[in-house]
Amino acid sequence: GSSTLMYKSHDQDKEYVGFATLPNQVHRKSVKKGFDFTLMVAGESGLGKSTLVNSLFLTDLYKDRKLLNAEERITQTVEITKHTVDIEEKGVKLKLTIVDTPGFGDAVNNTECWKSVADYIDQQFEQYFRDESGLNRKNIQDNRVHCCLYFISPFGHGLRPLDVEFMKALHEKVNIVPVLAKADTLTPGEVKKKKIKIREEIEQYGIKIYQFPDCDSDEDEDFKQQDHELKESIPFAVIGSNTVVEAKGKRVRGRLYPWGIVEVENPAHCDFVKLRNMLVRTHMQDLKDVTRETHYENYRAQCIQSMTRMVVKERNRKYAHAEGREK
Amino acid sequence: MSDIVPPEVRPKPAVPAKPPNVGAPSPSSPFPPQGLGVGGGGISAPPPSAIPVPIGSHGGSHSVGHGIGHSVSHAGSHAAPHSGGHGHGGSHSSSGGSTLLGYIGIDTIIEQMRKKTMKTGFDFNIMVVGHSGLGKSTLVNTLFKSQVSRRSAGWARDEKIPKTVEIKAVSHVIEEGGVKMKLTVVDTPGFGDQINNDNCWEPISKYINEQYEKFLKEEVNITRKKRIPDTRVHCCLYFISPTGHSLRQLDTEFMKRLSHSVNIIPVIAKADTLTIEERQEFKQRVRKELEMSGIEFYPQKEFDDDMEDKSDNDKIREAMPFAVVGSDKEYQVNGKRVLGRKTAWGIVEVENPNHCEFAQLRDFLIRSHLQDLKEVTHNIHYETYRAKRLNENGGLHPISSADTQESNL
Repeated sequence: GSSTLMYKSHDQDKEYVGFATLPNQVHRKSVKKGFDFTLMVAGESGLGKSTLVNSLFLTDLYKDRKLLNAEERITQTVEITKHTVDIEEKGVKLKLTIVDTPGFGDAVNNTECWKSVADYIDQQFEQYFRDESGLNRKNIQDNRVHCCLYFISPFGHGLRPLDVEFMKALHEKVNIVPVLAKADTLTPGEVKKKKIKIREEIEQYGIKIYQFPDCDSDEDEDFKQQDHELKESIPFAVIGSNTVVEAKGKRVRGRLYPWGIVEVENPAHCDFVKLRNMLVRTHMQDLKDVTRETHYENYRAQCIQSMTRMVVKERNRKYAHAEGREK
Repeated sequence: MSDIVPPEVRPKPAVPAKPPNVGAPSPSSPFPPQGLGVGGGGISAPPPSAIPVPIGSHGGSHSVGHGIGHSVSHAGSHAAPHSGGHGHGGSHSSSGGSTLLGYIGIDTIIEQMRKKTMKTGFDFNIMVVGHSGLGKSTLVNTLFKSQVSRRSAGWARDEKIPKTVEIKAVSHVIEEGGVKMKLTVVDTPGFGDQINNDNCWEPISKYINEQYEKFLKEEVNITRKKRIPDTRVHCCLYFISPTGHSLRQLDTEFMKRLSHSVNIIPVIAKADTLTIEERQEFKQRVRKELEMSGIEFYPQKEFDDDMEDKSDNDKIREAMPFAVVGSDKEYQVNGKRVLGRKTAWGIVEVENPNHCEFAQLRDFLIRSHLQDLKEVTHNIHYETYRAKRLNENGGLHPISSADTQESNL
């Protein structure tokens, strides 16, 4: 890569072009522009989605939320809500959009309750498609969903019918990262068993979750080991917390029980840190790339195909009509 | 209606006058043998595990007791036949009574009943309802400290979710302190697990009514069995998912529809998901919703017999739904072996009242209100069903089975 080029440049000063600095230039520009990322969270209510989002990004996005009771929720259909927050860290700006799906899976009859979610994702693709094909492309807003965290209940025996249906309806539209919610309900043995079961069922039902890219063969062993562990951790067993508690003299984000303290950021307690690192520190760019290169392109191709089909159909209809008149 | 009608009274010379661990005898029961109070009033009584709790049976003087029993219940007063679980009512001082000259020995009836019931044993039917994975089987096993649930009856843990709600009943005879209990656990796999759960409560409702019907048919027979087998559901534990938010729509739908035909005891499952604070808030919200939806869970306010009952039951109602954790594994804590769940940050002790409310549920369900559950089922829910059936089509049809005689109604 660029390292070898740099090496050579020392020997052949006159031939040094200088585009080795390109990554730095890109870096500088991006930092000035800022990044954006759209994360969707889906799953039944009460699985700790909002708390986890707050924990991941150290914000309080859901401060003024009012929880509905069972009576009020009878007439509610699945809504799509958006919260946007600007986060800055060490000079890098991130515009984070969280898309929530309140009402999902909460009714007695949940047939096709994922439809509004699928429609939302398609709408963002469609809007981008239009903008991309339009004349003024300077300030295109990218609202496409880059990643969907799907929350699996820890109380089931693996995937439930609703989980399977949701993931199958969306796996070709968005990167699905399954998480095992409220994992402090489970003992370490139970977590392990459930993860294996869920991974088996995902394969059995042909669900295509987000795949971590394989690491290059020239990466060092540590990195390879980490990558392997990451893949084995699916679904991430997570715990979230909005409160800080005191444990062993330190202040940590956690949950205080009479029998002990769960520390959110302790890798021995849950996979929160793994998830956060994956989402923010290592795979954020890849998630966006896959969205752009695979999911969006699929949508675009389908769109164009169906548009072409419609045009052809319309043309044939006109011919048939014209012929009919001639006769 | 508070007469003890013993079959015979004979002074019993060698029997001690005061049997141990008896709460005051409660004589007001609609049928002989009279119901014996289990524990003296509510949870605080020491668990009298040696005291048998007689079946809601029709042994002994059949026709007499029957007539008495029915007329009482039909008169609409629920007050009388309800003393089962609470040691109160005409308490005879067991030391012979200061008003009697000399000792007759009437109080030895208790010992006689006790012996008789220990021989016959009694049965209890408990149903568990809730999404799969909420720990229903584990909790029942923990409650009765035996492997009594369907899970241990050879059912594979990873069975697929059934497409419709199934009803699976498993019976075991367990024994404690010389008392035998035939415990039937009715499981309802498939409840609430589908994408579309409309009417998933119907198979359950049907099952409950079928048991009432079975009992009714036996009852109206001319030649009745000495002891009608009682398969009626005495108690339905409804498992609420510990989301921390509030009840789900399915929860209220189910409980609204079934609380008038069976005793429903809601419990918050897998409570080790919630911190103490979260648990209290969740409970408050759940109770408010239950109230707003008009759901009367057991112990129902309208069936409180007297002030003592009311105050005991008020305390219980205030604490419900109990937030429970179940486990069939033991761990060493502070030198003792306890049932619990071992996590990376500590051991959740099932029977530790600081950790969860399992002990409270167990005491309530088994040690103080077991008999009451049966009595409310028999005197109220069953009677409601029976009255409805009698009013349909102008009365019950004669039994169609081998007996072609008319019913004695």
